[in-house]
Amino acid sequence: MADNQFGRDAVSRRKFIAGTGAVSVAAIAGCSETSDGNGNGDELSGEVIVKGSSTVFPISDEMAQRFMDDHPKVNVTVDPTGSGGGFENHFCPGNADINGASRLIKEEEKNHCAENDVSPIEMHIAGDALTVAVSPENDWVDSMTFDELAQIWGDDSATTWSDVNPDWPDEELKLYGPDTTSGTYDWFTENVNGGTHRTEYEGTEDDNTIIQGLENSPYAMGYFGYAYYSENKDRVKALEIAESEGDDPSAPSLQAASDGTYPLARPLFIYPAEGALEREPVYEFVKFYLENTSADWIADEVGYVPANQDMVDENMTKLENAAGE
Amino acid sequence: MSDTSIEADLTRSANGRIAKERLYHGLLFCCAALTVFVTISIVATLAIDALEFFGRVNPYAFFTGTEWVLRSENPILGILPLVTATLIVTIVSALVAIPVGTAAAVYLSEYASDRMRSVLKPALEILAGIPTVVYGFFALVYLTPWLQGLGLDVSLFNLLSASVMVGIMIIPMVSSISEDAMSAVPDSLRQAGYGLGATKFEVSTKIVIPASISGIFSSYILALSRAIGETMIVVVAGGSRARMFDPSEPFANLLNSGQTMTAAMVQAVTTDLSGGTAGYYSMFAIGLTLFAITFSMNLLSNRIAARYREEYQ
Amino acid sequence: MATTDESTGTWFGADGQVSQLRGLLFKAGCLGATLLALFLVFVFLVYVAIDAIEPGTADPAWWATVATTVAGPAIVLSIYYYRFAPRAGEVAYTALGLPVAATLLAGGVSIVFRHIVSPHEWLALVVASLVAYGALEFHGRARDAGALERVVVGAAVIGLTIVGVPGLVPSLRTLLLSLPVLPMAPLALLGTFVVPIGVGAGWSVRRARESDRAGLIAGGVTVAAAAIGAVAGPVVGVSWTTWLVLTTVVGVPVGLYVERVYRGGKGVSGLALPVALAAGVVVCAVIVETAGFAGPDVWIDWEFLTSAHNRTPREAGIYPALVGSVMMIIVVALAAFPVGVGAAIYLEEYAPTSGLSGSIVELIEINIANLAGVPSVVYGLLGLALFVKVGELRPGIVIVGGLTVSLLILPIIIISAQEAIRAVPDSQRRAAYGIGATRWQTVRTVVLPRAMPGIMTGTILALGRAIGETAPLLMVGVAAVVRISPRSFFGLFSAMPRQLYSWAQLAKPDFYHGVLAAGVLVLLVVLLMMNGTAILLRNKYQRRD
Repeated sequence: MADNQFGRDAVSRRKFIAGTGAVSVAAIAGCSETSDGNGNGDELSGEVIVKGSSTVFPISDEMAQRFMDDHPKVNVTVDPTGSGGGFENHFCPGNADINGASRLIKEEEKNHCAENDVSPIEMHIAGDALTVAVSPENDWVDSMTFDELAQIWGDDSATTWSDVNPDWPDEELKLYGPDTTSGTYDWFTENVNGGTHRTEYEGTEDDNTIIQGLENSPYAMGYFGYAYYSENKDRVKALEIAESEGDDPSAPSLQAASDGTYPLARPLFIYPAEGALEREPVYEFVKFYLENTSADWIADEVGYVPANQDMVDENMTKLENAAGE
Repeated sequence: MSDTSIEADLTRSANGRIAKERLYHGLLFCCAALTVFVTISIVATLAIDALEFFGRVNPYAFFTGTEWVLRSENPILGILPLVTATLIVTIVSALVAIPVGTAAAVYLSEYASDRMRSVLKPALEILAGIPTVVYGFFALVYLTPWLQGLGLDVSLFNLLSASVMVGIMIIPMVSSISEDAMSAVPDSLRQAGYGLGATKFEVSTKIVIPASISGIFSSYILALSRAIGETMIVVVAGGSRARMFDPSEPFANLLNSGQTMTAAMVQAVTTDLSGGTAGYYSMFAIGLTLFAITFSMNLLSNRIAARYREEYQ
Repeated sequence: MATTDESTGTWFGADGQVSQLRGLLFKAGCLGATLLALFLVFVFLVYVAIDAIEPGTADPAWWATVATTVAGPAIVLSIYYYRFAPRAGEVAYTALGLPVAATLLAGGVSIVFRHIVSPHEWLALVVASLVAYGALEFHGRARDAGALERVVVGAAVIGLTIVGVPGLVPSLRTLLLSLPVLPMAPLALLGTFVVPIGVGAGWSVRRARESDRAGLIAGGVTVAAAAIGAVAGPVVGVSWTTWLVLTTVVGVPVGLYVERVYRGGKGVSGLALPVALAAGVVVCAVIVETAGFAGPDVWIDWEFLTSAHNRTPREAGIYPALVGSVMMIIVVALAAFPVGVGAAIYLEEYAPTSGLSGSIVELIEINIANLAGVPSVVYGLLGLALFVKVGELRPGIVIVGGLTVSLLILPIIIISAQEAIRAVPDSQRRAAYGIGATRWQTVRTVVLPRAMPGIMTGTILALGRAIGETAPLLMVGVAAVVRISPRSFFGLFSAMPRQLYSWAQLAKPDFYHGVLAAGVLVLLVVLLMMNGTAILLRNKYQRRD
């Protein structure tokens, strides 16, 4: 091999280098041209980028899957970036078409979007019934009021059950809840505790840990999304909740959350960008999404509270207004 | 150099040749200089946004705070819980990787037959090639239930299985670099030992290891810096709840979930936090801290390794 | 060195018996530690395999059939090779591994032709590249040009033939594509993909056998086999692309290997193993089919490999992520390999070693070593800032993910390429300089060819690292769920490790234990192939030295 380095091998090597160089340049250049856009025929095609809350993710993902069954050429990508991460990194800079959120958009996020001429349209599409649960061995409590919940969860002062109610056992509270960064935590802090939340509790990103914790200790208590409760009804005992002392306590169920009798119902939103709705695939997807927000499978398969007909109508009006402009 | 050379290229005018040489020299230099550009951009990226962060959070409070509560209202941002969790992972993984890795290096360099080496070395290399997300999956789905089966009261996400897995991941790093250092010990030293009647054990432990100690240490440092920067294993298996190290029950820290610096960075891009807040920018401050730590460890390792290279080459 | 151990004052070996035991224990301990690490991971792999295959769900009779028709003969043959014919054993394992590896490679090539370059685009590309090469060669011969002129002419030729000026001058490639009449797609691929490979195969046989006729036959058989399949393939239910790719990517290397074994005449009996296995599989399939034994309820099946993520675990698959990983690796290789090797050449062959510039070079070297240790998540932030915020590319597209990961593996490629270049003996460089070669000529004709196997080994290992990286992809916004494979390098993509991570986050146990395990297995098989190739390449190269 080494003896003819300067002979004809040199030519073939140059050929090789020229060839691979050309191929590499061309490979990139060549393929960038076959990019997306509305292509052949009248079949809908294109991209829809959905980011945002991991709570809304299961609904959006299911919607994407069903939509793509009808429109196999539309690439709907769904990514749980978190409500804030989605607004900050993707939606407001104009790189996403829809952002899911488990809370209302914040003022600074609106400003950020406005800086980039992105105008989010708020659509309340479903609800999550937060469930407060205790160990199945717990026989002293069946229902609680917001006031009692706030005593337990509002700050670190309560350490035993009897601190909250003298009738309850003098045993240490073992508390499990969602992670501080989650929308569930924010909502609970805001709507139940009145703006504060204790720091001494087992915060976890995985609701399975909460279920396990409740199973393992009779003095444990925790709160989490209804979807998890519906899959683990035999492992934990859910508490009935009353907003204030005089109200009738109501057991968590999607029906109760939907008609407003269960007070721990948290709204979920999607925010399509007004500009993105001008693109047909995005418009069609959002339309499909809204039409299906009242579908039964949202309750049966995802475990969330479906939208009622009024919400669907209101959202559709918003959509038509935005697209009509 | 005349025009009578054998190669067609060489017969081209000297002028063109010099220009061509300069061109290639310049191009190749650019390739090498690109790495400096990468470092500068890393520092710039991290520093710009970290400055933004320190405009909102007092650096002193950040570096000495013992509580990390990342939330949209009143976040409490003290980096120490993340640092202690990172330290736990590093120490436990070192306890796994250093003895095993060093023993493997000694075996490969001193005892193994050629046939054995030709099987074990590639096998260890393949170990090194397994993606970290897969190791994380192993830890979460298999190792944690085993630990629970052994009667350990570990939670679903826990630092123990994440750290053990990080340890297994860095074994090949320790063993391959240490083995290189041991192989670099000149045979004359070994033969001198044998000549004095030393056994193979004595040669290995009293001659080869001391002679290659700086190389071995540099492998430890490199492996530890890899453990500090490891992301996916701790994200998948370690959980995302930041906990300050509790000295009263040292082992309880292992059994619970914990959040390392890298895991906190991943969490910051995937949460419901609104962007533009201190919590979001904390990612860059953590990144800068992490970069500074790993950078200085790598420098240290280079220094130590350079010493041993001088000794025998 | 003193004759006594200073710390104890005794002679080495004076306590003979004890130290022998101690030594043995030490040796056993060291070996045990090595095996322990390997064993642990092996156990995990077994668990993954069990989760992905679920052997418990199969009929015992099914397993018995598999054992008698496939496993039994294979074990018997292996024992025979091990005891009586080691050379044939080597042949047997190569002959078994080669088709498997080649089939995986064929899968990758099929993905390229299906999603990245269509047969017509490939045709246009090949023709345009040939024209460009011809023009450059002609210019080089006809004119004794300076460097500047060559660069200008080179850029102009490539611009006219391949790239084109957007909106002004279409390139030859696009002109070809817009021709009203193009050869049918199978013909295009036959002419521009199969024929060159056939010619290569024929050439290699011709050289080995020193016979023009043998070469012609080898080349002819390749092209003919591909051509027949292109016509007959659709009849038997295989698409013509699959057939063309299979005959060339799998058929040619296997054929060449078998030819070589026959020509060498050593270990021919080794070829019996793959034949026996294939026959066993067919017999097994027939028995299972007729007797109706139920096989295991495997997660990792053809459907898993060819479908997209689905919220129903049984229907979920990895295909778009697989395509995404292939495309990302192409970007990584194109971006990191030339720059990495260039930097290594500079540092080893050009860099000054003394003076001020010498210390700058030393700084660059230290910097590279440090970059190799920077956590991957930090590279993710860098990619986000550099390509998304400054470069204004969309987050989550192939090129952003690929470039970010290239930055990450660049230092690894540089370091391994430097080692390979350093291993080239200085005498060879001096010989080249001695006959009047310039530095670049020496590098190109002496250093690089000698160092190339080492460089390739390092690069493949680095690409293996790249294919498994997850954290940077999370940071640059690669989406959790992408159901359509990217159609261009600027399309949204998901990669295998990213898909695994999003499955790990789904709470359903079926995702944890079934889908995820199957995905891990696919990723590990791809990696094992890449790392295995790298290691084989190095072993072969080391042996030759």
